[in-house]
Amino acid sequence: MQQPPVPSLSLAAADARYGEVFDRGYAHYDGKRLGRRHAWWALTVYSMKRAMGIRKSWTAKIIPFLLYLAAIIPAIVMIGLVALVPRAEIASYPQYFEAIFLIAWIFAATVAPEMLCVDRREHTLPFYFARSITRFDYVFAKLAATILLMATLTVLPVVILWLGRQLVADSPGQAMRTHLDDLGKVVLIGVMLALVAGVAGLAVSSITPRKAVAVAIIVIGYLMLTSIAHAAFAASDGNWRRYLIFMSPIDLFLGLIEGLFPSRELDQHLVGLANFPIEVYLLYMIALAVIGVLFIRWRYAPND
Amino acid sequence: MTMAPARTSAQPNGQVARTPADGAPPIIETRGLRKAYGGVVALDGLDLIVPRASVGLLGANGAGKTTLIRTLLGLSKPTKGTGRVVGYDILTQGTQLRQHVGYMPEAEGLPSGTTAADFVGHMAEMSGLPARAARQRAADVLYQVGLAEERYRLIKGFSTGMRQRVKLATAIVHDPDLVFLDEPTAGLDPQGREEMLELVERIYRTMGIAVVFSSHILEDIERICDYVVILDNGRLVTSQPLAGIGDVQGTLVVQIEGDLAAFSSLLVERGYQVERGKDDMALNDLIVHFTDDEVYDAIRDAAVRLNASLRSLRSGSRTLEDIYLGDVGAMREAQDVVS
Repeated sequence: MQQPPVPSLSLAAADARYGEVFDRGYAHYDGKRLGRRHAWWALTVYSMKRAMGIRKSWTAKIIPFLLYLAAIIPAIVMIGLVALVPRAEIASYPQYFEAIFLIAWIFAATVAPEMLCVDRREHTLPFYFARSITRFDYVFAKLAATILLMATLTVLPVVILWLGRQLVADSPGQAMRTHLDDLGKVVLIGVMLALVAGVAGLAVSSITPRKAVAVAIIVIGYLMLTSIAHAAFAASDGNWRRYLIFMSPIDLFLGLIEGLFPSRELDQHLVGLANFPIEVYLLYMIALAVIGVLFIRWRYAPND
Repeated sequence: MTMAPARTSAQPNGQVARTPADGAPPIIETRGLRKAYGGVVALDGLDLIVPRASVGLLGANGAGKTTLIRTLLGLSKPTKGTGRVVGYDILTQGTQLRQHVGYMPEAEGLPSGTTAADFVGHMAEMSGLPARAARQRAADVLYQVGLAEERYRLIKGFSTGMRQRVKLATAIVHDPDLVFLDEPTAGLDPQGREEMLELVERIYRTMGIAVVFSSHILEDIERICDYVVILDNGRLVTSQPLAGIGDVQGTLVVQIEGDLAAFSSLLVERGYQVERGKDDMALNDLIVHFTDDEVYDAIRDAAVRLNASLRSLRSGSRTLEDIYLGDVGAMREAQDVVS
């Protein structure tokens, strides 16, 4: 490939003709230097954009935006339907979470490898570590970017659903006040889902520079864990089976949802048998997230 | 030695005002810097005081150049010793230090699916520049490295030379006081290498950014550096101005076909100090010390008088290669004696 020319050093202004472009020299930067926190946030925002395919080819945008639409559009359609046909039934919060759980997991499998694998595969880490951040700032920026993106998919649709439900009520203001605790519960579930799926996705992505391998492990790992837990539950009996819930990601979340929005619909399932207090589910999820973060931190610790 | 242009702010016309930096604080200071990986010692008690200059970091592969750069950037913790780079402590002020220091890694490593402007701008932000200033700086610096037209193209379509320039742009986009360039000419064809050397020279001479240029190619360092630090097996061989170590003032090396003793006597009669070459390879050399330009006439006259053929006449200055081979050889011999 033909090399572009290096700008000349000295084109005397006196020799310049009308319209001629001449060397504009080098100007030093005298502006603000905002430091480590700014660098951390810049990496977080940049990582979110890249994971969503922004400033990349249109093909990179297809999957993340389709998943977004799949999670949000049903909520908007349901609210619209209720507004037009007041007696229409719309999904409950547990039903909605159950419906978007797999979408959220696939979203994590799409976003997390994009956050970590690409930098490892393309050997761009030395560029980042030579900036005003530490290795751990890098890890925490990627964590923040993943969890924030995940939260927009796991929290936003149910918040829209909650808002829509209140707005179509006879007295929206009163309805909002009455159901404020529901809002807190759906936000809590959405945040926990974003946290666990995001950290799990990143932990897997930290072990391989290949995106396809990471995606496969995240998706197949989910299917395998769930299948094994369900198979073991169906093939045996005894009270010990209740602990299988800690093996199956979707049942773990259904357990939390059932605790917050009791429906008794899952009594015959693993969730019904497990029947642990909400605090147990929350603590277990937080513990999983902490272990995941420590693992990623270890993967990115200096090797000398 | 052309000593460092001290950093100054840009002039209204965008040109850099250059002032001599004599008396300026050193850009690198280390004391007893040691880095060991288990039993392997990569850096062995380096004591360095490097002035603001275009510094060549010379050493064979495995000499410890990259380890030294990584340690000076605060990326690798020394096993022992301390150091300061552009006034910042390498142990405790790594993140602040890296706001004022640039680094061009040797390894190939650029994101293929992004544009040069996007990546260089992102690196500027990562160095603490506000978003708008970062974009502006990226455009300016890509112009400086000759990629103004190509800046909105995806990096995956770039040649090796263009990729090296993008790497260089990321190293200087935040306008550092000092930039470490780790083997910037590696993998380039002769034309690309020539252009890269020109760019590196400009960074120091025109932009006023001090440079540490790591290489194992003596010729590159001899050409663009004012100061040299030579490492061998993690040990410091020498650290001093290039102009000083190469010069042996007022010395000529003469080779003739004829009576060496008579030739030598004739020159001594004219008042010059003459000695025979000491190395095995230079036993037929005459080393003539002089203080005036008449020495060339004296050599010519002696050759005519003895009817001797003059085979070669060259300056007695040592090249960087002589220094490298001589000093590294001497150091290894000394170590062998000790061990």
